[in-house]
Amino acid sequence: MTDILTLVFRTFTSQTDGSEELTGPPTSPATCSALLVGDAGLSRSVLLLAAVTAASEVGVRVVFFTQTRIQSLPPCLQKRKILFSYPRTMEELLQQVARLHEPTNTSPAPPSLIVVDGLEGFLCERGAGLAGFHPGEQSVQAAHLSALLCDSAAFLTRVLRSRSPGADPCRVVASFQSPGDGGRAGGEASAADPTLEVLDRYFRVRCTLDRAGSYEAAAGGLHEVWDIYLSGTGMADASDTT
Amino acid sequence: MLSISVSQCRTSTCMDVSQQQFNRCREESIQDTQQQSIVPDDLLIALKFVFGSCALQALDLVDHHSVTCLSSPSGRKAFQVIGGSGRLYTCFASCHYCPCPAFAYSVLRRNDGLLCKHLLAIYLCEAVGGTLQESVSDQQMSALLSGTAAP
Repeated sequence: MTDILTLVFRTFTSQTDGSEELTGPPTSPATCSALLVGDAGLSRSVLLLAAVTAASEVGVRVVFFTQTRIQSLPPCLQKRKILFSYPRTMEELLQQVARLHEPTNTSPAPPSLIVVDGLEGFLCERGAGLAGFHPGEQSVQAAHLSALLCDSAAFLTRVLRSRSPGADPCRVVASFQSPGDGGRAGGEASAADPTLEVLDRYFRVRCTLDRAGSYEAAAGGLHEVWDIYLSGTGMADASDTT
Repeated sequence: MLSISVSQCRTSTCMDVSQQQFNRCREESIQDTQQQSIVPDDLLIALKFVFGSCALQALDLVDHHSVTCLSSPSGRKAFQVIGGSGRLYTCFASCHYCPCPAFAYSVLRRNDGLLCKHLLAIYLCEAVGGTLQESVSDQQMSALLSGTAAP
């Protein structure tokens, strides 16, 4: 997933003098799942850009789960390669993700990117009716959904490679905003959030989006300056293999 | 404008040690006269050392043939474990998750252990060839994976 995110940032970043060429770790199982944390609005934009980039630049099928309906899409967007789905509840989301293995979703080609926008919106509900859960236990819900996403991606990877041996793995990216997120320094965002700690077990890479308040940005007259931090066990494992 | 920085955060992975034990189970378990797999004593001691009391509970599940691998026509797989209370727990094939209370409390909340006994039983059954096999429909598999199947 970091390869697609790197492509997005490279495409939409204004390179200043002295800045390094943006490079990310190669695609590997360690970097196939990424969690965006920080500003909800920016996360959603990054997810949409990632979906569009994956569909248009990389040429893969994307499935995009969100509670908030997309009001309008750019004319150039390849709608056929991006399937938008609007589950209203956690239960609906689990059911839709669980069905990704069924032939109706893997033909003619299985999705290579699974996007979930706004995990916090799904996790805020009580877990009533889900077998084996403690009602209202967000951490358990987070673990179940995250594990299902990762397991689904692993299965879809096998399907992709059975049809094309050199195919890239299926990637997963989701966004999550902790209560009280925002205004924190990058890398420290929501460090004490138990739900985020659970999500970190399954999403190997964390991409923290933080609004920068640097003097240089203000002096430069820039309206919007964002810092992006990539961290997590996936980054360390990927660098070990390069 | 976007500025990028990469901070590498390494966390220890005890599963590397655990995986070594599972590999030894697969390689060193022997067949007795009744064609049942036997795990050598030193390996049992090692499992107890790594997983504590969870190891004995998991081995008990293995002895009772409590682990079933479910397969659907799409090729999707999942594991189903019969717990000590008779309750069925559906676990995933490629990552750690179990809907049991012990996983929620000991693993997720307290971070006391790597696995619950159900997940450990899956690993052990796979290692010694003790997993039962069962076929389900694609729709049944979806219901099981989402946790919405009837208990």
